[in-house]
Amino acid sequence: MTGDHDVLEAFLELSATLTGYSRFRLRGTGQAEPYLETTRDASGDGVLADLLATSAEVHATAAGDEGVLDRGLRARILSDDRLGPVARNVIKMWFVGTWYQLPQEWRDAHATRAPDATHVVSPASYTEGLLWPTIGANPPGAKGQGYGTWAAPPRLDLP
Amino acid sequence: MTLRRIATVEDLHSYLHIAMQLEHATIPPYLTALYSMHPTTNADAYRVIRVVAVEEMLHLTLAANLLNAVGGDTALAAEGFVPTYPAHLPDGETDFEVGTRAFSKETIATFLQIERPAVAEGEGRFVARDRSSRALLPAVDAHEDDLHFYSIGEFYAEIGDGIRRLHDEMGDALFCGDPARQVGPEYYYSGGGAITKVTDLDSAAEAMRTISEQGEGLGGAIFDEEGELAHYYRFEQLLLGRYYQPGDTGGSPTGPELAIDWDAVYPVKADAQLADYAEPGELRDAVLAYSTAYGEFLACLDQAFSGRPDLLVPAVGDMFHIKELASQIMRNPMPGEPGVNAAPVFRGPAPVEVS
Repeated sequence: MTGDHDVLEAFLELSATLTGYSRFRLRGTGQAEPYLETTRDASGDGVLADLLATSAEVHATAAGDEGVLDRGLRARILSDDRLGPVARNVIKMWFVGTWYQLPQEWRDAHATRAPDATHVVSPASYTEGLLWPTIGANPPGAKGQGYGTWAAPPRLDLP
Repeated sequence: MTLRRIATVEDLHSYLHIAMQLEHATIPPYLTALYSMHPTTNADAYRVIRVVAVEEMLHLTLAANLLNAVGGDTALAAEGFVPTYPAHLPDGETDFEVGTRAFSKETIATFLQIERPAVAEGEGRFVARDRSSRALLPAVDAHEDDLHFYSIGEFYAEIGDGIRRLHDEMGDALFCGDPARQVGPEYYYSGGGAITKVTDLDSAAEAMRTISEQGEGLGGAIFDEEGELAHYYRFEQLLLGRYYQPGDTGGSPTGPELAIDWDAVYPVKADAQLADYAEPGELRDAVLAYSTAYGEFLACLDQAFSGRPDLLVPAVGDMFHIKELASQIMRNPMPGEPGVNAAPVFRGPAPVEVS
């Protein structure tokens, strides 16, 4: 993973597996680049590189076998003291658009960075949260606009 | 495309149907530029383009009211109602093409061409040019061959003259349309100006005035009677980087600065066609779903303009849904074309063929 493009592709591969949403839907939020940058700023280049490299290995080993992929992710990423909390943060960020400060234990062991503070990534990240299509609703006041549309069921493209 | 001066009610129907086609033809280019901007960036430019696009939707509805008032049929589902971009405007302007392209200085320059102010008066509103192979409509009649309008404003001036001439001949019998087919303010709200039900010469003139003044500022003024800036000058602000304010003259805005980030834009495929999405997968499915949704939306508008104006209320929700689909497509890369993003394809109500 040398170029920005490869890093983004690796981030999308990991994100698609972690969230259950396709790459098309993830990119369709317009948030892939800002979320990658947020993860990098909060956890550091080294952690991000290891997270994506481990994810690439797990995906390659699984070779499309869902069971192997699931076990690999749990064993090598989600159970890992250094990578697990970051991966869980990436999941939360995709769903609610917020970066949550990493656990104090993680911060004591690895780094304390200013950009790690809990924050909403951008106004768009809130409305583009995967939470909304997952629960079959629109973000209140932000989508499904139009006079009287609240009288009709939400028009959504479910995952 | 050739048009003759309006001499019969049938001529007027043709002109007004072309007017609807013309108003619609501007909307996919405006929406493509609008939705190509990165989320939460370029707030000023977004607002400027959005206001114009919404006013074109009002003009489409006003043109439908005019056509219905004189007994015509809006026929949005007619073959060729939605152009295949790039295309020439349906009023016969052939010296530039419009397309569905990303927000850029070049795109705004094209928008200025679309909205260019009328310069010619009287006979001079027609200019002689070779007939275009990309003209969108067949000839109405070839009495005055190879004459084209210089601008949308002049095209509408001919419609206004035609309505008056025919009214002189026929009296109020000209307005023989079913009033139930008129869209009134109860079904059309907050859409860039007032909707006018057309039932007589005065209301026809009022509808025509809204279309001409909002659009191109016919008559040379940059602001209209309501103090609204004409579309040409709205777009010009984007290139000049400054807002117009009352008292300004064309070309020299003196209002606040208008900040634009020309790079905060998805580089969407210019004039995308369905054939550009041959590769099976989610992107192709999304583009086909978009074209279908857009066609269904136009079919719904056609019903709304044919005696069911109440359908315009749920259609507003459909428009926001269409925007969501377009945004998702544009944020995805075009397979096999590094540095290019996908773009939606605007199609009419005919079924989208899946080849």
